[in-house]
Amino acid sequence: MELICLGHFVLSHNPEVWILGELMLNCSWGGVGGDSIHRIHPALECHSLVVSLSSFLLRFNYRSTHHLTSNGFYEFLNWFDERAWYPLGRIVGGTVYPGLMVTAGLIHYVLNLLHMTVHIRDVCVFLAPIFSGLTAISTFLLTRELWNQGAGLLAACFIAIVPGYISRSVAGSFDNEGIAIFALQFTYYLWVKSVKTGSVFWTIGCCLSYFYMVSAWGGYVFIINLIPLHVFVLLLMQRYSRRVYIAYSTFYIVGLVLSMQIPFVGFQPIRTSEHMAAAGVFALLQAYAFLQYLKDRLTKQEFQTLFFLGVSLAAGVVFLTVIYLTYTGKFSLSLMRYLCPPPRYAKIHIPIIASVSEHQPTTWVSFFFDLHILVCTFPAGLWFCIKNINDERVFVALYAISAVYFAGVMVRLMLTLTPVVCMLSAIAFSSVFEHYLGDDQKKDKEGLGPNIKSIVTMLMLMLLMMFAVHCTWVTSNAYSSPSVVLASYNHDGSRNILDDFREAYYWLRQNTDEHARVMSWWDYGYQIAGMANRTTLVDNNTWNNSHIALVGKAMSSNESAAYQIMQSLDVDYVLIIFGGVIGYSGDDINKFLWMVRIAEGEHPKDIRESDYFTPQGEFRVDKAGSPTLLNCLMYKMSYYRFGEMQLDFRTPPGFDRTRNAEIGNKDIKFKHLEEAFTSEHWLVRIYKVKNEGSSRTSSFLRKARS
Amino acid sequence: MSSVKRKGRVFRLLIFATLGSLVNEEVKRTVDLSTHLAKITTEVLLSNPGRSTVNSFVVALEPELAPHLAFIGVTVKEKDGSLELKETSLKGQSGKFFEVQLLSGLAGGSKLRLQVETVLSHVLRPFPTHITQAERQLVVFQGNHYLYSPYLTTSQTTRVRLASKNVESYTKLGNPSKSDEIIEFGPFQDIPPFSQDPMKIHYENNSPFLTISSITRTIEVSHWGNIAVEETIDLRHTGAFLKGPFSRYDYQRQSDSGISSIKSFKTILPASAQDVYYRDEIGNISTSHLLVLEDAVEVEVRPRFPLFGGWKTHYIIGYNLPSYEYLYTLGDQYALKMRLVDHVYDDQVIDHLTVKIILPEGARNIHLDTPYQIDREPDQLHYTYLDTFGRPVLVATKSNLVEQHIQDVVIHYTFNKILMLQEPLLVVGAFYIMFFTVIIYVRLDFSITKDPAAEVRMKVASITEQVLTLVNKRLGLYRHMNDVVNRYKQSRDTGALNGGRKTMEAEHRTLTNDISSLQARLKVEGSDLADKVAEVQKLDSQVKELVCRSCQEAERLVAGKVKKEAYIENEKSLASKRQELINRIDSLLDAL
Repeated sequence: MELICLGHFVLSHNPEVWILGELMLNCSWGGVGGDSIHRIHPALECHSLVVSLSSFLLRFNYRSTHHLTSNGFYEFLNWFDERAWYPLGRIVGGTVYPGLMVTAGLIHYVLNLLHMTVHIRDVCVFLAPIFSGLTAISTFLLTRELWNQGAGLLAACFIAIVPGYISRSVAGSFDNEGIAIFALQFTYYLWVKSVKTGSVFWTIGCCLSYFYMVSAWGGYVFIINLIPLHVFVLLLMQRYSRRVYIAYSTFYIVGLVLSMQIPFVGFQPIRTSEHMAAAGVFALLQAYAFLQYLKDRLTKQEFQTLFFLGVSLAAGVVFLTVIYLTYTGKFSLSLMRYLCPPPRYAKIHIPIIASVSEHQPTTWVSFFFDLHILVCTFPAGLWFCIKNINDERVFVALYAISAVYFAGVMVRLMLTLTPVVCMLSAIAFSSVFEHYLGDDQKKDKEGLGPNIKSIVTMLMLMLLMMFAVHCTWVTSNAYSSPSVVLASYNHDGSRNILDDFREAYYWLRQNTDEHARVMSWWDYGYQIAGMANRTTLVDNNTWNNSHIALVGKAMSSNESAAYQIMQSLDVDYVLIIFGGVIGYSGDDINKFLWMVRIAEGEHPKDIRESDYFTPQGEFRVDKAGSPTLLNCLMYKMSYYRFGEMQLDFRTPPGFDRTRNAEIGNKDIKFKHLEEAFTSEHWLVRIYKVKNEGSSRTSSFLRKARS
Repeated sequence: MSSVKRKGRVFRLLIFATLGSLVNEEVKRTVDLSTHLAKITTEVLLSNPGRSTVNSFVVALEPELAPHLAFIGVTVKEKDGSLELKETSLKGQSGKFFEVQLLSGLAGGSKLRLQVETVLSHVLRPFPTHITQAERQLVVFQGNHYLYSPYLTTSQTTRVRLASKNVESYTKLGNPSKSDEIIEFGPFQDIPPFSQDPMKIHYENNSPFLTISSITRTIEVSHWGNIAVEETIDLRHTGAFLKGPFSRYDYQRQSDSGISSIKSFKTILPASAQDVYYRDEIGNISTSHLLVLEDAVEVEVRPRFPLFGGWKTHYIIGYNLPSYEYLYTLGDQYALKMRLVDHVYDDQVIDHLTVKIILPEGARNIHLDTPYQIDREPDQLHYTYLDTFGRPVLVATKSNLVEQHIQDVVIHYTFNKILMLQEPLLVVGAFYIMFFTVIIYVRLDFSITKDPAAEVRMKVASITEQVLTLVNKRLGLYRHMNDVVNRYKQSRDTGALNGGRKTMEAEHRTLTNDISSLQARLKVEGSDLADKVAEVQKLDSQVKELVCRSCQEAERLVAGKVKKEAYIENEKSLASKRQELINRIDSLLDAL
């Protein structure tokens, strides 16, 4: 008996549990139970939850949480991480949204207080599924407020299985978004509740939930703009009431003060332009309320004069203030960043942002892939809402419209669209079912034949069933394959696991000096810090463009120039990803042009993108490739000794499977580097920088001493 | 001063008196250097030329080798019994000495064939200390040509087994013969006590130089039927260090590249081991295979990367065992019999071992029976699920262990069986408190403001409830009356009919009055349900009328005033009318 997985998680030996879980989903059982099981799917799929942890987890979050639990909250806030951004270091406490770590840390603390000796790792792995259960509950509550209980149940079922949300909430996905979507939905629920009741109690609840959201995710900006927009539209629609006044005034003031308590947010809410809409609406609401008050006490003629004067004065003051503030640089009009599609903006400004695949505009395919049938039904739900409009349905309509816009701009923001799509689709389905499955007596009046009724019902159920099947398929295929462990299938269907990343990271962890500095492209920064526990130069928190550009420059220069840079940065090891042997397309050669571009942005004299293309403007690694490319450090490190390797009999030696080309430079020799480790499938290659410089200084020192 | 010296001399003389009385005849030494250990097996024919019986003798080890000693054991040949050893010291002599107690004394003039087994670790030194990936690993062994013994040796041969036939150099005392992997020294005659002559062999040895630099073995006993074992292992390749680059290309293409490196090894777990896991800090290690055999579970442990000289790795392996195989009980007395250290790989060397045995909460009078000397550390407390005062943890450490140390340890303790119930009761109690709190919360009103609307609603609801029961009761009366009428039609007993009618009338009146009063209360609360109740009352009076009429009809039938067919016709229409009315009442009640 061969057992690849030595996982100790009981469920992994128990296939029935899965089937049960899937059945529950197919019956649209939804809710917390089915929901969580669906999400644990990937963790189990990958043999054991330990795998899934290391694979899905943004290792940085885990590392910070670990730091939090072992050193306490205040130590965490003051944490200076010298392992990142060598030689700069990173002030972690002030540059992260601490909500995720604090939540996980708190759960861990409480459990351990009760002598439930759960490892912090397990808490982190299961945090996202737990919170997705809470998301389902809050979606139910919100939809119930908007429509009715039935629609709420359907919405909870949808959000429980929809791929667009599962992608962020599978077990092991220890990411801000995992808890933030819950906070988002819950804040909206409490907001709708407070607009409905006009009670300070609900509004304070809303503020606390908003506070939690601010502590968890930068997406809180969405809330602080959507709620004012809601109030503004209500004013335009002549739907002003005391309830709205109480709710918004309380929310704005308390929410503002609370959000400023998060160190990373600080004074942004009163300084940056993305928070100004809230302030403007607050002022407008006060003015409107004041005018309403005057209206009761003045004649119509007096009121009109006063109104005209007041409005023009206010407009003038606001205009002048904005101009003055922008002029003096107190806040930047960075609205551009939000309104124009980022890639377009970023291509001009920061190539790094454009280089992230998550920041690309969304394609139609991914809308369908992530939302399936819901993307077709949610406009119907929106239509139902607009047809029977009231205060809270105005809100959901605005939510839907803005979320659709943002999701179209960036793939990543698909996540904010998903909940509202679920809610509106649930409303659409629920109204259809109500119509066609209602009581017999009522139906007689409308004159619908039983045949039509059953056909429509069957069709709707078919759609839902296909949706459930699609969700299961997407979850198990697209979102369960961890990014760190690659799997390939043989002809007989058995699975090969390529565990090269962890092989190399663990080698670094075990067999290099504890303070060794590893240079790699920024994508692997968090992984190296987390799994290999070594100092990195750049990582996924891409705040310092020039530092990244320097690494890019080292990678794209020739060896001796690169050696100078590496010496100045005290680099001990260089790590690259090379997919040529197994045909892995996400490797460093394929990302190489971004490195060149980013390097060019900062060092236009030394690096020119055009040097790396053939005269015909192609990027080629074979003999026809440009000599600059064939001799740059990245090329040499990727293909060192690859020229001797013959993968199969049909291809010449040194045939790159990813790019389907025989490499152009097979005679690669290093002067300042040596191969330190290459993983089994050559996916990760690590080179050691020979330390001639420092040995010279040390011999010099020795001489000086003697 | 001089008296002390004299005393010492006398003492030494005494020792020599006992020592000098024995002679080693026919010594056969086998030095096995084919692995990374030096296993020296010495067969001795011990004779006692004196007259008096000797009860013990001394085994000695060279001072150079003494620090490397991992295991020493003495067995009597042909009897297969191992003898007890006790470390002693001999004045004026360096090295390590063990006094061996004979089971039955060795009488004067008799002989005994013994076997002494010695295992030395880290005694093979790689030379050169750093090699490249393509080079082979050469090691040096430095030992003694002669048997190091406090007794005279009359004849001795030494056979050295190497790992390969490639030998760089070896000392040539007495012109040894070499064939393939074996070098034979001797025979040497009449060697005086404590003789030493350095033997040095420099040869190729590519066997895995794998050392466990530290291992922590945690055994957690549960009285619910499970023993969980977890071993945290730090491994290191202690052969020649890798010099220069590691080339994956060469390693994959050439079979002899990195020949001294370690790809994988086998760990043998107990046959009943279940739920085996193998992982490290960054997750499950996917490169391993598990083989379940009849008498063992074999894990092929493959570290994430091949281990070259100087490289190290770290992993955790764990499994569960059923406790009935290892835990023995008699009343409140328990005994746990388990291996103190288990197999990790063949010819294993453990530099440092820590064993932690976690006993169930409430175990007392703990007593440890070890097969060999180990160092106990202060006991600890361990808290895990549902623990209140902690589980006792025994901690023991030992250095330099080899395969021969895989032996059983026995732990005796007492445990009150009642304590088994503590944890379930704790859970039950916790749930009880939780539900109780919920009950209290739901039953009591904690709101600080009064909501009159809600109160009215609740009042109305309770009144409607009462109305419903009363109306249903009234409908029940009619059904009962119907039965009475049917019975009357058969028995023709007018008295019974009249009696039935009277009781119905009376009960009907009280019920109707009650409903009317409830209706009045509903009106007071301002509920529109009062109208509906009024309608019910109206319908009900019609129903009653119909009931009375059917009663009269029945009387007339019995009296013969109507024909049977007409009666049946009439009765049918009455019944259908009644049913219709009742249905209307029901629908009204549903709407309440």
